[in-house]
Formats: sequence, structure tokens, C-alpha cells
Amino acid sequence: MSPLLRRFLILLASIFAIVTFNFFLFHVIPGDPLRLIARSQHLTPEAVAHLRQVYGLDGSLLEQYVVYLNNLLHGDLGYSFSLQENVSDIVGRALVNTLLLLTCSTIIVVVVGIAIGVFAGSRHGKKSDSTTVVTSLVFWSLPTFWVGMLLVFIFGVWIGGLPISGITTPNAVYPNVFGVASDVARHLILPTLTLALVDIAFFIIITRTSLVEVMGEDYMLTARGKGLPRRRLVWGHGVRNALLPVVTASVLYISALVAGAIQVEVVFSWPGMGLLTYNSVLSRDYPVLEACFLVISVAVLVANFCADVVYRRLDPRVTVTS
Amino acid sequence: MHTEPQPDSPEGARLSRRTLLRTALLTGAFLATPGALAACAPATTNSVSTNKLLRVGWKSDIDTFNPLTTVTTEAVEVQSLIYDTLMAYGLDLKPEASLATAAKQDGATITYTLRDGVTWHDGTAFTADDVIYTFELIAKNELGVNAQYLVDLDTAKATDPKTVVLTFKKPQAFDPGLVVPILPKHIWGTKTPDEVSKFPNADPIGTGPFTFKERKQGQSVALSRNEKWWGTKPAAAGASWQVYTNDDLMAQALKNGEVDIIPQVPPTVFAGLKDTKDLTSVSLDSFSFHHIGFNVSADKKSKGNPLLLDKKVRQALGYALDRKQVAEIAYAGYASPGGSILMPSFGDFYWEPQGDEVIDNNPDKANALLDSAGYPMGPDGVRQASDGTPLKFRIIAIATTSTDVRTAQLFQASAAKVGIKLDLSNVDSDTMASTVYNTAGPDWDIFVWGWDSGVNDPSYMLGVPLTSQIGGNNDVFYSNPSYDALYDQQATELDRTKRIALVKQMQQMFYDDSAYLVAVYIKKLQSYKNTAWTGWTETPGGMIFNFTRDNYLKVTPKGS
Repeated sequence: MSPLLRRFLILLASIFAIVTFNFFLFHVIPGDPLRLIARSQHLTPEAVAHLRQVYGLDGSLLEQYVVYLNNLLHGDLGYSFSLQENVSDIVGRALVNTLLLLTCSTIIVVVVGIAIGVFAGSRHGKKSDSTTVVTSLVFWSLPTFWVGMLLVFIFGVWIGGLPISGITTPNAVYPNVFGVASDVARHLILPTLTLALVDIAFFIIITRTSLVEVMGEDYMLTARGKGLPRRRLVWGHGVRNALLPVVTASVLYISALVAGAIQVEVVFSWPGMGLLTYNSVLSRDYPVLEACFLVISVAVLVANFCADVVYRRLDPRVTVTS
Repeated sequence: MHTEPQPDSPEGARLSRRTLLRTALLTGAFLATPGALAACAPATTNSVSTNKLLRVGWKSDIDTFNPLTTVTTEAVEVQSLIYDTLMAYGLDLKPEASLATAAKQDGATITYTLRDGVTWHDGTAFTADDVIYTFELIAKNELGVNAQYLVDLDTAKATDPKTVVLTFKKPQAFDPGLVVPILPKHIWGTKTPDEVSKFPNADPIGTGPFTFKERKQGQSVALSRNEKWWGTKPAAAGASWQVYTNDDLMAQALKNGEVDIIPQVPPTVFAGLKDTKDLTSVSLDSFSFHHIGFNVSADKKSKGNPLLLDKKVRQALGYALDRKQVAEIAYAGYASPGGSILMPSFGDFYWEPQGDEVIDNNPDKANALLDSAGYPMGPDGVRQASDGTPLKFRIIAIATTSTDVRTAQLFQASAAKVGIKLDLSNVDSDTMASTVYNTAGPDWDIFVWGWDSGVNDPSYMLGVPLTSQIGGNNDVFYSNPSYDALYDQQATELDRTKRIALVKQMQQMFYDDSAYLVAVYIKKLQSYKNTAWTGWTETPGGMIFNFTRDNYLKVTPKGS
């Protein structure tokens, strides 16, 4: 069996295990979602029993599990108790919004983070190096929601001019599609900046450390001995070799962000996966929660799988020991 | 594995003054980036349509446009502008004509005369068939919050194209025509009841003063004025509702003019808005109270403390509780002391205890009552029953509802003064519901929670503690045959004066039985931008977010 196929099968098995675990996890949480649906409606027991049936909450846990698996294989994620809509539609919309935020922040964090990391690493031991490291560590240690609230205060209340809530301006009239794009872009600034400020240190430190290590290798000494110009030395020989751990970090960062933007999304009312998960927990919306966790877990697993594949291509020394 | 932190370089090990300075500079540069980004953002020609648009800010999204499955007040509010009812509440909260120009009640029948020339938003003509379809659909399948008013419905018939007669099994004091939104048969009639239960109704078609424009889930809903509406057209060309996940963002949006009115201002924010320029902030009577409930289930399966089945213990706790203190401390004055199960907003239906009837803030009387009932003070300051069981009870409150937690704490202190010990635990709202409503064996003693009357008629609130509502809304498992009998009597009493007498008798009975200690009546805090719209009528229950939609229809843009 080829190592890749093997990895792929493990991926599938993991997904199945997670689906099962998720299902039972959410069904053993105390609290009956039907109580929330039925409260204050003066319903008769027959009507409650009927509702139970409509929402698929009748039958034993095992029966519900089999139904859930069967529906899942058919792409049916269920029906939301609280939003009264198909879960796949709800999660689909939220995922698009989250991916938008995630793409912007990842690009900024990775590109700028690597650039600053290289800047610091290539000036190893100098003041500019230590200043960069200390600054990024300061930002890394700030709580995300707190940075978000601070930016809301600065740009929403003090200075003004930047939207602090939602993804578009309420009741905006757009002349064309570029109008929509620019409105969304303006709403993206603060959430993206919040994520970037806090997370960029991760990439600065990794790149810097990795580069410092590479710069000390014998082949770098050889390269320097050949009289290569500094720029080629750093970028052509150093950075290329130093980026391996950064690739792993980037992939893991993306997968963590699918779930990890919860704080930012709640602070800025950004209608993505984080906010959806947060609201679904409050309303005990099992089908939505199961779908959210499924998407998040699959994102992590697939990202890891991709990291493996990419890594293998980048570094032929990596092999799978079977 | 432990690793010693290793300085990268001698300089890196210590923060020199210069490094610190550079760190500060770089931090500043980081913070300045968004400003620069904003400046670089392309100049847009987008405009925000504020022209005669009535904009509301609130904290949760609507759940659905389907009036037969909705459970949120937000959705009912938006739907009330899309769908008409046969009769409607005016700004004085009295019934007036709507889709029906008249309703005549005669014994167990109600006859509605339908309005001429009404069309649905899609242009189809509105007919008596739509009315009959709606009432039958709800009654036969027990769909939605309004099914409870149609349990006695026998038949719905059209005697001619403009007259609909509802025949009930017994006379109805409450006219369900006031609350049932009329649905278009040509859209809903093709669905089975189960399909109706899962119908998102994403593009709602009604006969109401506004038509659906757009919905962004979790963010906003917008409606446009129905230019073909049968009534006097509203001045607002549209209405929109924007969701804010954060109280401060919402208040800021009102100050900035992003929204025109906030119908539910949190008390913490209200103080800040009260003195803001261009804002009018009002504190109105509401249809909500918060109460302390006792588990009085007589069922053998109940795991509640049986000492609470003694009315004297409950009354003693009622005498111990200082409702004024709760209103002032837990609610910062944005509530008034409670009493009856009906809120004062019910007007002439409301009963207020007088003189000796008052069970409130009287520790001496509480002590005397417990002494005479055979609960002497124990050595540890906790009273005991004759068999030596201490008067110790569990009390639960929803952790995130800080006012309830504070109420429980104040109650705890008051009860301790008369020798009753309360152990408080905080739960989340869902655990609260499943614990309290656990019909298989309610395992709790006392809770702090609240009720909103879903309808402007005493029947809803009075109906909560009915024996038949055990397993339904009856949160304290109260059961009193005389109370149940009075309920049935008032529900079929068409003479208003006689009905008021019955309703007051029920309130007095329930108050004296002390299964509830209604702690406070909540104030509805609303705030609006007085430079945007004028002509708001301050109605008990709220200018909007109330049983009447008329403020949406009657306000006019400032300066027009």
C-alpha cells in the first residue's frame, strides 16, 4: 500500500471516529432542546410528541445515530431547531464568511510574518532583532478579544471612520458589485487586523529561529566563502531552507483558524463559523453544533494531510515509516 | 523536558532603554497601520439609504418567517408587519378593525366581516377561504403559539364571501382574531402539516403594511412599504432590524445614527443613553415580571423539599422577601415591586393586595407565623420542623441573568433573618428549563425566573398555574381545583365587568397561596433618536416590541 493511500485511509477513519464522538457528545449534554422549542406555547403532550418526531428526537440514541449517519452520507446535515432552516445552508453561508476573514488574515500573517522573521533572523544578535522579538511577543501575549475591543474603541468611538460590526453596512445601497466589495473590505479591516496583530508573532518567531539555525550550517559558510552577495545568501540559500517549519505552521494555523476566530467573530459580530458555533451552544442546536464541529475537525484533518503531502514534495528526506 | 531559557545574544537578554524605545515605536507603527489601511481603502460611492427608513437595533436575530413555528418575540414583531390579523391592538392596546372591519361575539360564535379589496403581496385577491384555511390549519394540527386559543374551535365557515363565522364549543372571552396572522391559502394550502412545520417561508407573502425585502441571517432583516396596503400608508418607506452581538456596539450605533430606536435597552447601558443629546430614553411599564417559584408538586415522584408544601412556610418566605429592595438593588430601580401574577399593564384586570393582604417585607410577621406553625428556631439559627428537619432549601437561578442571581442573593439574606437557610446554585438557561420542567420527578425546591405575557389578555398569565398545564407551562406544579374552575368561568365570561371580578378573585387566590412570589415587574427601557422620527406614542409594554404595531405605521420623519 502506498504511504499516501495509507495516510488517506487513516484520514477517513479519523473522520468517522470524530463524527461518532460528536454525535454522542452533544446528545449526552444535559438539557432537552424540545423544552426550548415548546416553552410558553401551552402545548399538549401529543403536540410535544409530534414535534419530537418532526425534529427526529424520538427513538433511542442508537436509532437517532443511524439516521444521522445515513443522512450525513447523503449530504443532509439535518434541520436546525433554532434557525428553522437546513443546516447545510446555514453552515455554508457561515463558512464562506469565515474563509474570507481567514484568507485575508492568513495572507497578512504569513507574508508579513515571514518578512519580519527574515529581517530579524538575518540580523541575529543585533538590536533590531531583539526589538522585533520583544515587540511580537508583547502582541502575542495580548488576549484576542481584548485587542478587538481596543480597536473597536479606537476606530469605532474615538477616531471613527471604520465599521465595527457586521460584514456590510446596514441598509447600504450599492451602485454596483464593486460597491459591495469595497463595503465588505472596509468591514474586514478591524477583524483582520486583530487576528494579524496577535498571531503574527507566531510566524515571526518560527521564521527567525529557523533562519538563525540555517545560517549557522556549514553550507552557508561555504556560500559565504564563495563571496555571494548578502541578499542572495539570505534569500536564495537561507530562507529557502528555513521555510520548511513555516509551511507546517501555516497549514496548522489555517485549520486552527476555522474554529479559532470565535473571539474575533463575536466581538465584531462577524457572521462566520465562530459566531454560529457560539450561538448554537447557547440554543442547544445539536444539528448545527454537530455540523460546525464536523467542519472544524475535517478542516484540521485535511490540513494535516495536505501538510504531509506538501512536506514530502519540499523535502525528499521525509519518508513515511510503515 | 525542561529547557533553560537561553538568551539569543547578550543584548537580547536584557531590555536596554534603547530597545524599549524601539519597541514602543514599533508598537505605535503597528497601531497606526489600520489608519493607513483605511486611508488607502478605495473611495466608494456607496450610500446608506436612510431616506424614510425606520431602523431598529436589537440583540438577537429572528428565527424564521414561518408564523406557525416561530418562538422568538423578534420574529413575531417582524411578521406582524408582513401579516395582518383579523382584528388588531391600537396604541391604547384596545382591539380595533384590521382585515375584518367588524367582529361580533354572540355566545360561542364570533362573526367577522371581512374588508373589501384586499390583495396579497403577490397580487392574488384575499378571500374568506384564506381565513378559514388558516384557522383550521392551526386548530387541527396544534401549530404554533396561537394554537392554545383555538383548542375549543369547532368550525370555521364562510356564510357569504365577506363573512366568516368561528364556532367554538363554549363562549370565548378572548378573541383569537387579535393574534392569528392570516396566511395565503394559495401558497400554504399545497403543503402537508409536517411540511408546514419545516417550512422556512423565506419569501413571506402577507397582506400587511410592509413587504419582505431581504434577510441576512444573523445580521439583519429589511422590509419595504406595501404601496397597495388597504390602510393609511405608513410614512416609513421601509423598516429594518439590525442585530448587534454586543450592548455597547448597539448603543454606539444609536448615538452614531446607524439605527433609530433600540426597543430593549439593557439597564447598564440605559444610564449612559439617558442624558445623551438627541436621544429620548423612556422607562415604560411592561408585560414582564420575574418571580421566585416554589416546587409545590404533590406528586410522589417529586424530589422537592416537602416542607414547601406547607403554605405557611411559603407565606413566611413571602413576608421575609423585601420586593422594594430587590427592585432598587438588583434592578437599579428599573423595575417596580411585584405582587400579583398579572402585571399592572393589564389595567382594570390588575389586582393589588391591600392592607392585611400584603405579604411583603415583614420579618416580624414571618417569625410569628413560623413560630405558631411549629417551626422553632434551632441552635444554629435555622428553624426546624417537628421531626427535627431544618428549614433548608435549594434555590437555583440562571447564571447569565445577573438580576436573577442578585435577587436570589437578596432573598437568601432576607430568609436567613427569619431562620430559613437557602443554598444558591447558578445554572444555564437550558439546564434551568429541563430541571424545573422535569415532569418525571422535579428535583428542585426554589427558582428565580421570569415570565412575559405573550398576549394582551389575562388568560395567558392566569393559565400558567393551571393543573392542566402541569407538563406544559406550569413551572411550580401548582394545582388548585377552585382556581382551575374560576379560570374556565372567566374564559367564557363575555361580560367584561363580571370577568374582571373573576380575574381579580383568581389573582388574590394565587397570591395568597404563595406558590409564586412575584418579585418585580420589569420596566421596558427604550431609547430613540429624536432627530430622526417623531410622533412616538409611549404605550405600556413599549413603543415597539409590543402587542401593537401602530408606532411603525404612525411615526413620521423629522422635518416633514
